[in-house]
Amino acid sequence: MQKWKRFAFGFVLATLGLTAVAGAQDYTSLPRKETLIVENPEGTIKNPGWFNIWVNGGGGVSTGLQQLTMDTLWYIDPEQGLGGASWDNSLAADKPQYNADFTEMTVKLRKGLYWSDGVEFTADDVVYTVKTQMDHPGMVWSAAFSVQVASVEATDPQTVVFKLKKPNSRFHAIFTVRWNGAWIMPKHVFEKVEDPLRYDFANPVSLGAYKLKAYDPQGKWYTWEKRDDWQRTSLARFGEPAPKYVTYTDPGPPDKRTIAQLEHNLDIIHDNTPEGMFTLKEKSKTIETWFPGFPFAHPDPTLPAVIFNTQEAPFDNADVRWALALLIDIKAVDMASYRGAATLSALGVPPTAATMKDYQAPMQDWLKNFEIDTGKSKIKPYDPTVGQQIADILRKQPKFKDQIPTDPEAITAAFGYGWWKPDPKAAGELLEKAGFKKSGGKWLTPDGQPFKIRMTVEGDTRSVFTRAGTLIAQQWAAFGIDAKAVPAAKLWQTALQPGDFQVAIAWSVETWGGDPDLSFFLDSWHSQFVAKKGEVQPPRNWQRWSNPELDKIIESIRGISADDPKGMELGKDYLKLVAREMPTIPLMSYNVFTSMDTTYWTGYPTIKDPYTDPVPNWANSRLMMVKLKPAQPQ
Amino acid sequence: MTPYLIFVLKRFGQFLLVVFLGVTITFFVTHLTPIDPVEESIGAITQMGQSDPNAIELMRQSLRELYGMQGSIWEQYLHFWLRLATGDLGPSLSAFPTPVSTIILRSLPWTIGLMTVSTLITFVLGNAIGALAGYYRKDMVLKAVSLVFIAMLPIPYYILAFVLLIVFGFIWPVLPINGGYEMNANLDLSFALVLDILKHSILPALSLILVGAGSWLIGMRALVSNIITDDYVVFAELGGVPKGKILRSYIARNAMVPQFTGLAMSLGAIFNGTVITEIVFGYPGIGNLLIEAVHAGDYSLVLGLSALSIVGVAAAVFIIDVLSPLIDPRIKVE
Repeated sequence: MQKWKRFAFGFVLATLGLTAVAGAQDYTSLPRKETLIVENPEGTIKNPGWFNIWVNGGGGVSTGLQQLTMDTLWYIDPEQGLGGASWDNSLAADKPQYNADFTEMTVKLRKGLYWSDGVEFTADDVVYTVKTQMDHPGMVWSAAFSVQVASVEATDPQTVVFKLKKPNSRFHAIFTVRWNGAWIMPKHVFEKVEDPLRYDFANPVSLGAYKLKAYDPQGKWYTWEKRDDWQRTSLARFGEPAPKYVTYTDPGPPDKRTIAQLEHNLDIIHDNTPEGMFTLKEKSKTIETWFPGFPFAHPDPTLPAVIFNTQEAPFDNADVRWALALLIDIKAVDMASYRGAATLSALGVPPTAATMKDYQAPMQDWLKNFEIDTGKSKIKPYDPTVGQQIADILRKQPKFKDQIPTDPEAITAAFGYGWWKPDPKAAGELLEKAGFKKSGGKWLTPDGQPFKIRMTVEGDTRSVFTRAGTLIAQQWAAFGIDAKAVPAAKLWQTALQPGDFQVAIAWSVETWGGDPDLSFFLDSWHSQFVAKKGEVQPPRNWQRWSNPELDKIIESIRGISADDPKGMELGKDYLKLVAREMPTIPLMSYNVFTSMDTTYWTGYPTIKDPYTDPVPNWANSRLMMVKLKPAQPQ
Repeated sequence: MTPYLIFVLKRFGQFLLVVFLGVTITFFVTHLTPIDPVEESIGAITQMGQSDPNAIELMRQSLRELYGMQGSIWEQYLHFWLRLATGDLGPSLSAFPTPVSTIILRSLPWTIGLMTVSTLITFVLGNAIGALAGYYRKDMVLKAVSLVFIAMLPIPYYILAFVLLIVFGFIWPVLPINGGYEMNANLDLSFALVLDILKHSILPALSLILVGAGSWLIGMRALVSNIITDDYVVFAELGGVPKGKILRSYIARNAMVPQFTGLAMSLGAIFNGTVITEIVFGYPGIGNLLIEAVHAGDYSLVLGLSALSIVGVAAAVFIIDVLSPLIDPRIKVE
């Protein structure tokens, strides 16, 4: 009978899934004061035991794997960085050295760095990384190396020489972390593996200051422990990482994240809804955010915009695009989408702290004098006071009136400089210039058909943008255009890539954030990469826009080094060109509502101390580990 | 060859045909959706900062080869069957190269646990009340209880799931509303963990039980209502056989034969999972997995899950059919 009872109990356990969880260690048994708990925005990892980051989609990336255990040659921090510059030589001892025609790149590596299993890091690891990936199509950086690298060799244990198939002044970008980069593989581990594409790297050997301690076999959490020999890692240049343990979890939907942080069980929320953030600011006394008041959130180096399919008439006409821009009341869009918590940008770069300094501020005079010829008149469309106006609107709301900055500089940093002012008269003139007519209150295209616009939005998956896109469509409809917002599941795959859209709300501009070099996205905007109508468009230039003047700017950027001061002038030329041509209507920053609880840890990055992006899934967030301080005695 | 053996072989042929057609339809439906796993992967790689269009095109070709998506859809279809014939469901495309079977086996116990227990409870509860309500037709309590279950029958189970979630998760927050176990739980095998898992399964299970019991109840009540007028029941009553014994031995046992057929089919359908319930409650079963696979355009995983479901249901129906003539004397094989 006892036997049967045991069998029955075992069966019940098995059917309840206990077999799947038994044996895992519990991260909450770790001392809380020594543990940093952060949200992994990837959610629950479907394949939790997979740590081979060099195979695409194999497992989780933001589980702490890329932030705490990986390393590569350089980092560009989206913010100010530690050590006085956003550029950081990480595994490399110096910046990349190119020959005169950019066909050869030499890298000097740091000495004294070790993998977590005690093996020294050398140039052989770098060479192995490149060659292995080239030999295994399907690995994440395989194609990128294959199209560019003619040969790679270690000339001594600390020197790697790349010979390139064609000149490329930005080849180093592949080894430069913005969010992620080509991570260096441990040669001594992978060379013993039969097929690197099918190897799970189950006990990941770390080049970072942390190593794997435990993870949930159901993929809900991962815990990493500080290495005893953390001094032998590149991060040690900045000091000792403070948290002994770091856990990345999937805390569930926004309401659960909010509750967990209110209960001090979640130190960093990667992203919340604007409403969730407002609740936290209202109810918690220990929450810190990037901006201390509105808009609280951190502006990502991406630029949400109205994207036109410029291969489709009438959006191939700059006058039409500009007319539609002049029908947008950005203040209403801002309030509808981010509830006012956004940083505006009239220019084609995201308004990060660095680009505000490098581009937005220096171009204010140009913007103020910028003119458009409507065919009947010349107008100056720029309103430099929009940021100020939004601050004034928000200040009238009793709930947050004290959190709205009053200092003009702080207002600019938080809400942006200005934007285009609504001008329906000029918009009408521009449409008439393009051959449109108004009849019975409705606009007709040059061939006499009703002017229809379908604005493709993402629906629930990115509700903030959906709200913005819907309102913009309504504003166009109020002007007599048959405009509607239509949701598309998988916007990128079903609409943007195949070009199956008229107008969409998304982004096609991403920058390094902390660096003025715009090549990160601009190179892929060259007309050589614009797909024919009906074919799949390579990433970035979703607007499929080409322009000979733009090609010249891009070619000039390709011909100079990344830190040549001329690059910034060329960047401004690009911004002037897209302001004239308006292939996309830039709206605002992609704000990420990150909140940080100070109950157990202080020293988080904020606008006052912008040493890195606070968003914890970015690899740069490793810098937080050395800046955090325990808030309670240990 | 006996007539029964011919019948079994015929039914087996039908079983194979159903599986073949079901899997074939699923193959073409998944491959004709606009979501392309290669483009999904490329999207992820682009997020990692790569934007060189030449490299992206090369990557596209490599992934197409790696994922077995080269050639025409017919070539892919043939390749798929050749692989399936060896029991290989292939690698997951959204968790490449982990085998689909590994990923499914991780989620399957949760769904089997939840569905088996809730299906059995639903079956027992519905039939018990149905039998009692059919036999003691004038009992007011049984009438009221039946009415409650029958009233819940038309409610879609996911609506009830949301109601339960709001009532017990927010208004009166006494039960967990997300996951299979508490995220902060100590995961060492213990009685506390068993309780935690049971606690997490209460709301998902309730959403299925409350709606599902009504249909068993109606079926059983109708069967009992017919049987109680049969001669042997009338004779038993006239002969003074206790009512409880009549219900148990004379009525319920006979009425249960077709109900067990339904139960077998329900158990076969366990492999379908309960997609919406698992999503609403964040339950880590195959329903959740299926939705993730559909979103990621992971053909292999969708096909693996669908094949499991098709084989499960078809096998259950096949087994019932071939066993029915052996169990129920009223069914004869011609």
